[in-house]
Amino acid sequence: MARPDPRESRFSSTLPASVNGFGRRSLLRGALGVGALGATGMLSACGDDSTSGSGSGASAKAGNVKFGINEAKGSGPANERLQAMADAYAKKAGVTVSVNAVDHNTFQESITTYLQGSPDDVFTWFAGYRMAQFAEGGQIADISDVWPLDGIGDAFKKASTAADGKQYFVPVSYYPWAVFHRKSVFEKNGWTQPKTMDDLTALMKEMQGKKMTPFAFAAKDAWAPMGTFDILNMRLNGYDFHMALTKGEKAWDSPEVKNVFATWKTLLPYHQENSLGRTWQEAATSMAKGDCGMYLLGTFVVDGVPKEAQEDLDFFTFPELDASIGSDALDAPIDGFCVASGAQDEEAGKAYIKWLASAEAADAANNAASAPFIAANTAASTAKYGELQKKSVEVVQNAKSIAQFLDRDTNADLANTVITASLQDFIKKPDDIDGITASIQQQAKSILG
Amino acid sequence: MAVLAVIWLFPLLWALYNSFREYSYTQTNGYLSFGGWTLDNYTEAWNRGNFGLHLKNSLLITIPAVALTLFLSSLVAFVLARFSYRFNLTLLGVFLAANLLPPQALLIPVFRMFKEIPLPAFMSETGTMLNSFWALILVNTAFQLGFCTFVLSNYMKTLPHEIYESAELDGASVWRQYWQLTMPLVRPALAALATLQVTWIYNEFFWATVLISRGDKYPVTSALNNLRGQFFSDTNLVAAGSIIVALPVLVVFFALQKQFVSGLTLGSTKG
Repeated sequence: MARPDPRESRFSSTLPASVNGFGRRSLLRGALGVGALGATGMLSACGDDSTSGSGSGASAKAGNVKFGINEAKGSGPANERLQAMADAYAKKAGVTVSVNAVDHNTFQESITTYLQGSPDDVFTWFAGYRMAQFAEGGQIADISDVWPLDGIGDAFKKASTAADGKQYFVPVSYYPWAVFHRKSVFEKNGWTQPKTMDDLTALMKEMQGKKMTPFAFAAKDAWAPMGTFDILNMRLNGYDFHMALTKGEKAWDSPEVKNVFATWKTLLPYHQENSLGRTWQEAATSMAKGDCGMYLLGTFVVDGVPKEAQEDLDFFTFPELDASIGSDALDAPIDGFCVASGAQDEEAGKAYIKWLASAEAADAANNAASAPFIAANTAASTAKYGELQKKSVEVVQNAKSIAQFLDRDTNADLANTVITASLQDFIKKPDDIDGITASIQQQAKSILG
Repeated sequence: MAVLAVIWLFPLLWALYNSFREYSYTQTNGYLSFGGWTLDNYTEAWNRGNFGLHLKNSLLITIPAVALTLFLSSLVAFVLARFSYRFNLTLLGVFLAANLLPPQALLIPVFRMFKEIPLPAFMSETGTMLNSFWALILVNTAFQLGFCTFVLSNYMKTLPHEIYESAELDGASVWRQYWQLTMPLVRPALAALATLQVTWIYNEFFWATVLISRGDKYPVTSALNNLRGQFFSDTNLVAAGSIIVALPVLVVFFALQKQFVSGLTLGSTKG
């Protein structure tokens, strides 16, 4: 679909304020906001505001907010959670939260027109480069005065910070990427989760001996193979290299990247063939059926397997490849919220967003929904978590560095048009590593400048 | 012919077939299997996609847009066909040229323009053209005008000149010649165009996604996306949703089919 270039969006800030502010309607809303301010300001003065007692962001006062969410009404637990947070806040602060629910993909694809048009005060978005890009363009507001947030760790703060060192984002949840498998299959064959690459290689060989494909693999959803690239890159070259590469500070045709592809090439024979025609759901199904032993994917893999297999899933993080690098980095994309620059009431937006990052908000969401998310706030209750989620928390807390996933850590144009196609080319012709890396680098240079 | 028809219909029938089957069944047995029958996909698609609301939105956009397009283009066509003056050809050329412009090329200008056009609060919640049905009605009308003008003016040119001469002798004004003489005569063409326009505007997806960013204002075509999750999509459910969305067009088509065919051939045989 044709979309305006993200860089185009900078023009929005040059529009005269009178355009945005036109109409009796906004005046009226302003008046309402003032009314609400009076009421809730008094409430918080009465010491009601115990969760945000750290004192920062004191300037932000609760008020009516418009809340844009990237899950359509009735689309399942993700929508239920966001709706529950909105309701809980409306009740607590005594304000109106009007929810604008758009389905995930449409929301993401039309984000630039959304932000330039008439954005809601607070909206759901992703951490990392995707957030930083809008911070640089001035479409999202600096919310560094609501930080630090109780219960939100340093790794999350890092992911919420843009290039100028200020925070533009608050995290709410995340989902790690790991190697999934069925417990029963491993038990039946007497296999254990591999700790080292030698273990993994031995395991893969044994699986092949049992006529099982070691790794399920799908590349029809173009983002899926990025997971494999990321984990190999972080095991071979480390987290810092991953970040430098995605920011354009390191070259895509460097020996390090070529090494990643070379290693991947040696692993490809252990992956399902004809992956370009397979969706991740089909790959997940073949793991659930036992045709494949393992599958490297995000925790959303549970949605792709039949009910009886969901209980039977377990995972491990990809083993170490280089002792000097270790295995303490992983992909765990973080979801959260931003305040739009064009917000009608930025102060109310900030008050709301600060609350959204609290453990109270996470609990409200998880208690209301049929399936919980993994809260970014460490003080949030884990009572509703399933086994996989409890283990995810542990794995992420043990990880030293958390990457956001290749397409969230770099420019969207580069990720979605160049890298996806190149990874698919590589899967088609694994021998042409030099040609593929040279082509990515050439295009990365012209996109990242 | 038969072979072509089968090739053409196959994907449709395949979608129809799978829309009646459970996802978990096709997931374990593959799409080539037979069984797992259910009607749940339809009720679930209707509820989850919130199709009631979105069909109403589509209706609110399509009907005024089609009516407006036909009215305005018949006015232009009447003038172009009945009166000869210097800019006749130029005018028709301009209308046609606009028709040839890809809408994508006009995306940014239209978006910016609409962002700056204020509307009173009772017409648009946001105070601008963005996020209002007015924007979609206008954009669709503008993009369809060229084609309708072209077809209608060609059709009107085939009407015998003598009718107008006698009308004029009887003292009919220009408006009367248009409204009471021409319009009834071009009814077949109007019906044919109405069928096409309803289909096109109803199926329009591009402008709706660009100009609307409120989930509850999307027309039904964009609302189909509600059935897809962030990662997971139940293809059988999407198939059921697509068929629900396609039904109104089929109904319109069959209802106006007779007019449509006679409209097409009438235009072609009169020289």
